Amino acid sequence: MATLPRATRSAQSLRGDQFRFALVVFLPIMALFLVIRIIPIFQMLAASPTNLNLRRPVSRFVGLENFTRMWEDPTFLQALGRSLQFVAVALPAEIILGLLVAILMNRVLRFESFYQTLYFLPYILPMVPAAIVWKWIYSPGVYGLANLALGNVGLGPVGWLTNTQLALLVIIGVHVWKHLGFFVVVFVVGLKSIPADLREAAKLDGASEFQVVRSVDLPLLKPILLFGATMASIWAWSSFTEVYVMTQGSDISAGSDLKVLVSKIYEEGIEYGGVGYASAMSLVLLAISLGLVGILFALFRERT
Amino acid sequence: MKQAAVLPRAATEARGGVRRRSRASDWGARLSHAVLLTGGVLMVLPFVWMVLTSFKPATEIVTTTPRLLPQQPTLSNYAALPEAAPFVRFFFNSMLISGVSTLLVAFGAAAAGFVLAKYPFRFLTVCFVLILATILIPLETYIIPLYLMVNRLQWVNTYPGLIFPFVVMSSGIFFLRQNIMSIPNDLLDAARVDGASEWAIFRQVILPLSVAPLAAISIINWVYTWSMFIWPLIIASRTELFTMEIGLMYFQRQFSVDYGGIMAACVITVLPVLTVFIVFRTRIIEGVATTGIK
Repeated sequence: MATLPRATRSAQSLRGDQFRFALVVFLPIMALFLVIRIIPIFQMLAASPTNLNLRRPVSRFVGLENFTRMWEDPTFLQALGRSLQFVAVALPAEIILGLLVAILMNRVLRFESFYQTLYFLPYILPMVPAAIVWKWIYSPGVYGLANLALGNVGLGPVGWLTNTQLALLVIIGVHVWKHLGFFVVVFVVGLKSIPADLREAAKLDGASEFQVVRSVDLPLLKPILLFGATMASIWAWSSFTEVYVMTQGSDISAGSDLKVLVSKIYEEGIEYGGVGYASAMSLVLLAISLGLVGILFALFRERT
Repeated sequence: MKQAAVLPRAATEARGGVRRRSRASDWGARLSHAVLLTGGVLMVLPFVWMVLTSFKPATEIVTTTPRLLPQQPTLSNYAALPEAAPFVRFFFNSMLISGVSTLLVAFGAAAAGFVLAKYPFRFLTVCFVLILATILIPLETYIIPLYLMVNRLQWVNTYPGLIFPFVVMSSGIFFLRQNIMSIPNDLLDAARVDGASEWAIFRQVILPLSVAPLAAISIINWVYTWSMFIWPLIIASRTELFTMEIGLMYFQRQFSVDYGGIMAACVITVLPVLTVFIVFRTRIIEGVATTGIK
């Protein structure tokens, strides 16, 4: 008896129930999402052509002035260049090393999950303690492990973190080390989805290991390589924590000489309160990261 | 899988290439293991060094002839920590922020995922596209306006301010929607015929069938919020509000030569994540590999 009226319930009343659930439960979540994700993006866009500053009550529209200022700001251009170098080194390093390890892992039949754990550990553990250990390893005195190792083979100490260009490379190395496990795991999943028959068939036809990788694994892995390259470029492009922890706050490191794009945005927007200028730089950060993703998609589509 | 790999090898043996083939692949396998093991040890070495150093007395740390293992293991580095800095408070702050964020994110992902996957309204497509579009946009690009919002709300140096950007997780909603799509509509309709309200369907049908994906995104969000750096760096300037990450960073600046103490603090920062990782290893690796959530 009780179920009968429900069973004949009209589609309209079901729609009403669903609409009410959406209103009470979904709408607040969506509203929060808009407030913390969508609205800030538009506020950033809106602030980028203004001279808004936290220390000044009024602001005005300045057109493209922030962008021309950027073009003439050597510290900004330097930071931009360093972020681009970050991508240029980290992206190929992560993809190539990740592939290499994943291919080996897919070949060996034993201890696979043990190896996976080893490579994945740096990715899952927090960056700050990791960067602090690396900072110590590369510390300039004779007590840093890197210099100690050099000393043991008769080479003099190197200012790993005091020489700005060298420090950038060291920090990119830490970034690659930290993220490598992600790519290994993603590529292993991709390789596993390729039927082993395909590889064996190629081998029966006389293909070498290298040829199997080149003509079976890589073409079938393309969508996953694209996904990996996208994540690698976005992470490298927006990196900040490792740079900040390994350069700031001690006189034995590169200090404020070494800035990437996000460090520059942080300094301008938070420390100086220059919201307008920082927003214009954020727009550049967003535009180039979307541009990088676009380039990757175009590259991968072409080589079909 | 293994059988498929064995069969063709038998075929090669039949052709007479037995010895050379198997010896070469033996050698190849050994080389693969050697490369993987060396690389893997190098990957975890910094953490091993961190842990071992935290148990060494100062004389064994600041030396030109360091050894891997502590010769006279000591707990003094850990014992000195609570006095040197309020690490107990930092730890509590981090736990609170990650915990609250993860609860909200998990509920939001399940509820929004349910509505987006199963409800027929046109405006949901717009919502879904918006959510999808933000997954790839780094937080850093709109962190300045986010800070202004929190500033205007007077939430700088408060817990709500610290949790604010992490109450909804775009990739989590997306992941749950994809999973809930595969729940058959008949199941929901059957419950509706039995007189279940939409809320009851959500609680009694959707949630029990979404335990695995919910666990995956909860763990990943927990690890992500525990590890985050730039947001608490901006929002927390008062020591009482520091997270482990921020406290550790300032501690390292202030006591730059007390490596024993610094490494002990590093170990404590890493330990909760390490525990979670060891317990949920397979689930975390699978979740990260299939969603790419950071």
